[in-house]
Amino acid sequence: MTYLKRLPKFEYVSPQSLPEVCGLIAGTSNDEVMLLAGGTDAILQMRRRERVPRRVIGLKGVADLGLVREQADGSLAIGAMTTLQTLLSAPVVIRRYDLLRETAAQIGGYELRNVATVGGNIAGALPCADLPPALMTLGARVRLSSRRGDRWVPLEEFFPEFGRTVAENDELVAEINLPRPAPNSAGTYLKFHDRHSMDMTVVGVSAFVVRDDESRTFRDVRLAYASGAPTVFRAKRAEAVLRGQALTEEGLEAAAETACAESNPRTSWRANGAYRLELIRALTKRAIRRAWEKASSQTETKP
Amino acid sequence: MNKDPQKELRDFQVLGRAIPKKDARIKASGRAEYADDISMPGMLHGKLLHSPHAHARIVSIDTSRAAALPGVRAVVTGSDFPNIKFGNLPQTRDYLPLPMDTVRYIGEEVAAVAAVDEDTAEEAIDLLRVEYEPLPAVFDPEEAMQPGAPQLHANAPGNISAHSAFHFGDIDAAFAKSDYVREDVYETQAVKQGMLEPHACIGLWDNAGKVTLWSCKMSPYVTWRQLAMGLGLRPGDVRVVQTFVGGGFSGGKQEAMPMDFCAVLLSKKTGRPVKFVHTMDEVLTIGHMRHPMKIWLRTGTARDGKLLAQHCRLIANGGAYSSIGGFSMYLAGAMLNLPYRVPNIKYEAHRVYTNNGFCGALRGHTIPQFCFARDSQLELIAAELNLDPLDIRHRNALQPGDVTANGFRIGTFAFDECIERVAKLSGWRDKRGKLPKYRGIGFGCGSHLSGARLMGHSASAAEIKVQEDGTIQLTTGSTDVGQGADTVLSMIAAEVLGIEVDDVGFTRVDSQTTPVDPGTFGSRVTFFTGHAVKRAAEDARRQLAEIAAQKMGADPQDLVFRGREIFNPKDERQRIKLKDVVRWGAFQLGKIVSGRGSYAAADEKIDFRTGEGNLSPAYNPSACAVEVEVDPETGRVTVVGFWGADDSGTPLNPLGVKGQVLGATVMSIGHALYENLIRVDGQVMNPSFRDYKMPLATDLPKLADFQHSNVITWEPEGPFGAKEAGQGAGTGVLAALANAVYDATGVRLKRLPMTPENILFGIKRVREQKETRRP
Amino acid sequence: MNDLMPVSLQVNGIRYDVAIQPWRTLLEVLRETLTMTGTKRSCGEGQCGACTVLLDGKAVSSCMYLAVEAQGKEILTIEGPVGGDPALEQIQRSFAAKGAIQCGFCTPGMVMITKDLLSHTPEPDEDEIRDALVGHVCRCTGYVQIVEAIQDAANGMQAAARGMQDAASAMQDAAGATQDAAREMARKGGA
Repeated sequence: MTYLKRLPKFEYVSPQSLPEVCGLIAGTSNDEVMLLAGGTDAILQMRRRERVPRRVIGLKGVADLGLVREQADGSLAIGAMTTLQTLLSAPVVIRRYDLLRETAAQIGGYELRNVATVGGNIAGALPCADLPPALMTLGARVRLSSRRGDRWVPLEEFFPEFGRTVAENDELVAEINLPRPAPNSAGTYLKFHDRHSMDMTVVGVSAFVVRDDESRTFRDVRLAYASGAPTVFRAKRAEAVLRGQALTEEGLEAAAETACAESNPRTSWRANGAYRLELIRALTKRAIRRAWEKASSQTETKP
Repeated sequence: MNKDPQKELRDFQVLGRAIPKKDARIKASGRAEYADDISMPGMLHGKLLHSPHAHARIVSIDTSRAAALPGVRAVVTGSDFPNIKFGNLPQTRDYLPLPMDTVRYIGEEVAAVAAVDEDTAEEAIDLLRVEYEPLPAVFDPEEAMQPGAPQLHANAPGNISAHSAFHFGDIDAAFAKSDYVREDVYETQAVKQGMLEPHACIGLWDNAGKVTLWSCKMSPYVTWRQLAMGLGLRPGDVRVVQTFVGGGFSGGKQEAMPMDFCAVLLSKKTGRPVKFVHTMDEVLTIGHMRHPMKIWLRTGTARDGKLLAQHCRLIANGGAYSSIGGFSMYLAGAMLNLPYRVPNIKYEAHRVYTNNGFCGALRGHTIPQFCFARDSQLELIAAELNLDPLDIRHRNALQPGDVTANGFRIGTFAFDECIERVAKLSGWRDKRGKLPKYRGIGFGCGSHLSGARLMGHSASAAEIKVQEDGTIQLTTGSTDVGQGADTVLSMIAAEVLGIEVDDVGFTRVDSQTTPVDPGTFGSRVTFFTGHAVKRAAEDARRQLAEIAAQKMGADPQDLVFRGREIFNPKDERQRIKLKDVVRWGAFQLGKIVSGRGSYAAADEKIDFRTGEGNLSPAYNPSACAVEVEVDPETGRVTVVGFWGADDSGTPLNPLGVKGQVLGATVMSIGHALYENLIRVDGQVMNPSFRDYKMPLATDLPKLADFQHSNVITWEPEGPFGAKEAGQGAGTGVLAALANAVYDATGVRLKRLPMTPENILFGIKRVREQKETRRP
Repeated sequence: MNDLMPVSLQVNGIRYDVAIQPWRTLLEVLRETLTMTGTKRSCGEGQCGACTVLLDGKAVSSCMYLAVEAQGKEILTIEGPVGGDPALEQIQRSFAAKGAIQCGFCTPGMVMITKDLLSHTPEPDEDEIRDALVGHVCRCTGYVQIVEAIQDAANGMQAAARGMQDAASAMQDAAGATQDAAREMARKGGA
């Protein structure tokens, strides 16, 4: 029976650069130190006394973490402190990564999107987070920075188990990189909950497809899920069912069944596992179909 | 006195106009002071400790460490109070300011501290050491009624908190005569008020031993009496000052709460004002919510659908204490009499104590739950008898002049017109049975009363002070809680005196200076207090007419009050400004003009034991239709259209009426589809706005498809023809949604809320049944 | 720990230099330190919108924002700037006129989100209005009159903008006519 309290006492520092942040978290543990991005999760964790850090490191002043940049190789670099609002209104995202725009636009409302960050949505390791599945299906890689240097981790390898990421105590999520999408590709994110806005995701399905225009088959299919298992995950066996195939009802059924088999949704007072499986089944088919239609209807993406 | 309301509305000077709420501008600018906005010099901050056990004996409370924390000024526990139980009804006094020896639900307040700031108060709460001896607990009301179940209150064997039963006509004979009989069971869930403003108060115990409580109370005088009783004081030594109320819908804002008692007693101990503000998870964890119910309804009809008999048994999960529960049980059964003619009625209701947060009134009180059951079942009856759903309602509709089985005397009651208005607005006849698959439209009806006769407890009074600039100050004991009482009562006074609404100052309630009043609940204020205001204004007008007549040499009977003037329509020379009359009367004649009026409707009595009696001076019918789209693969419901029509008499302020009926509707949509206070072994699992889900702007139809229409009648019992508006409109919505979901999917849900999960599995079952039926 | 940090907050056009603890939220500092109680305390979780203020024109839940992090930003609350804010005033007028205010507790937040919406979408359609409101709970009104008020405010602001445009055009015409007259006189004078 936890009541929301006022925030606990902590020391606050606001570094202005990434190296400064890395210096501050070197040699610390998650108990002593907390990185504060948008705060939409962190503030509540502190209110509930789930986390009582000695020191809070505010990241809002780290300018190099807040940029959305097209790289020379055509990939997209998204700084971890990019807010959801900045992300969904960035011209390159609108033009080329509509799946990402669509996903971010379904999260919360104005107030939340104005402060919540891409990095926060990933680093929190919540199985119900919506950006990770969308990013996974876009082939995202995460750059982890520390005083020891940088390393890249594919997002689908980022969540080893419930509530945890592969980041070490002295590392922070600095950037997400997305490869340039193949031609004839599109994705969609279906976020299911009872009300029409604001709710925690009961089941989320991201489907990203690359269409072979000539043979009208799936050149590639990527499926990732929120609230389908203890971690966000890519359903690789389900993807394999459709890769190289045409879009058929049987194919969709088989992919959906396989996705169900790969899932492990929990039963909680919020929703039953059996119901979540029904949603996974239905929404997998729907998402793939929609992604396919989107890919078919759009012209070659412009640079 | 059959007036034509349309003509009256045309002739009104002020009434009938869409006048913005008097306090809208101050609220829009952020300058309206709610209880949490008030700060006083030296004020301390209070926090409450809540029980982690559903049922336990309090063995000991060690306050020493908390009291020793720097910044903590005082601590209180149950033993600091005089151990006088209080309650809403004489026979249901089971509540204490803080428990003496037993806690009965998780979240019950156990102790409180006052400190120099909230952070310190929170820290102090953590330092309180309570030794509990856990006791066996019971959470299900049917289990609680069994022999051997843990007993919550010594004077309530079998955990029966309240019981209501009545029988009118001859139910057995009526069932025997019925061509068709069916019985269904319906279940409803725990629903919270959900207002935005958490309970908040400031308590002061001054040097003279007088108590003042500033708080957002809907019923300041109920609070006043309960506060006095629980503190062992004379009510005359207690003062309750009403602050702006940020939403109430009954519950804790209707009564005295532990926080109120603690604020006052901590003030006594510290010599300082003490403020308490609940966090929203506290609001959602403590008691005060709608009664979850299990309703058995057995109905017998003739072949043509005429209702002959209804037998209702009801079990309400009352939670750990009584609140207003005694009345709640009567009211649900009373609704067997409205809005249909049912000549033979039998009712048995038990409110059962369980180790959950306790229940009480919440917009509509027990009426929405009952109407959900009754109007869902009516649809099933119509289907079985091959009757049109609207026809069966018309066939049974109460008519003006009817007297119901238990003695409700029906005045205006344009139920047939409400049904037809909704049918027309919604396009019912073009849609029903013709919508695409998984799109459906459902009808639902309900009813409400315009204030309940509670013997003298229903009396309201008003005072009007007429000022020398022609403005008046209007004082009543009723509260504006957002519903618009301030404005409509001012409009009534302005209408009678021929002045503008802006000329009326509306006083908030202060028990030291305003008339005693039950407060805002049961849709009583426009009706009961409106009458009192009308009478007070007429009293003032009589006095002013005499003075004016004296000044102008006129006959007071000839004088008309209009446009801030008093004049004789038969003689143009006899015309004078209202303010000049006031000044002349005051400064020349030494006459202070002050109007007084009251209204109680106490002439008739209700026998709550037998259920007999005319509960209200006036009754409203309500009808609505809802159109839904159901996603067959997920079960999610989208409300795509809503059309409602109510007979609220003559709408004195259509802008206010609109806000009330639409607000009630949306609350019921939440009740039907999204809201559920989930308790597992007495623990509230979702005490947050994130997980206790109320409708948001995107959950509702577009403006063009969300309509309400007033069926205008002139109710002679009401002030200027008016009746209630604000609770009736929500009573038919639950059944309408259940019926719409059935129309869309073939899934008949009898338990609320109707979640996507239940609907989806229902759809699958319907499909399987269809498939197995194929040869 | 009693560490007070010096923070400079720019609220409604006025600069406040305060010493606050870093764990204070912006909502707490506004209400308790600066005694500006127009912004309300309600759900404590960023769900209800009652605590919404604008930071550099963008709506945020002040109960979820550290006050120290609001330094260097323009904070706008329901109390509004001393010199007045025509947009804010139009929204407040529309809310009152359309019956969008009952208990009033959600109102400050609703007014602020409306200002955010109309500043980047001056002619929102109904979907855009409802989407802006999802972070705001109203238990009293059922949102209908709030949506109508926002439409009314948008119309009012558009009309005012057109009015100013018309006034500006009229002034230009008048200036042009004056110039012509002056040239004519000069021509006559020079002849």
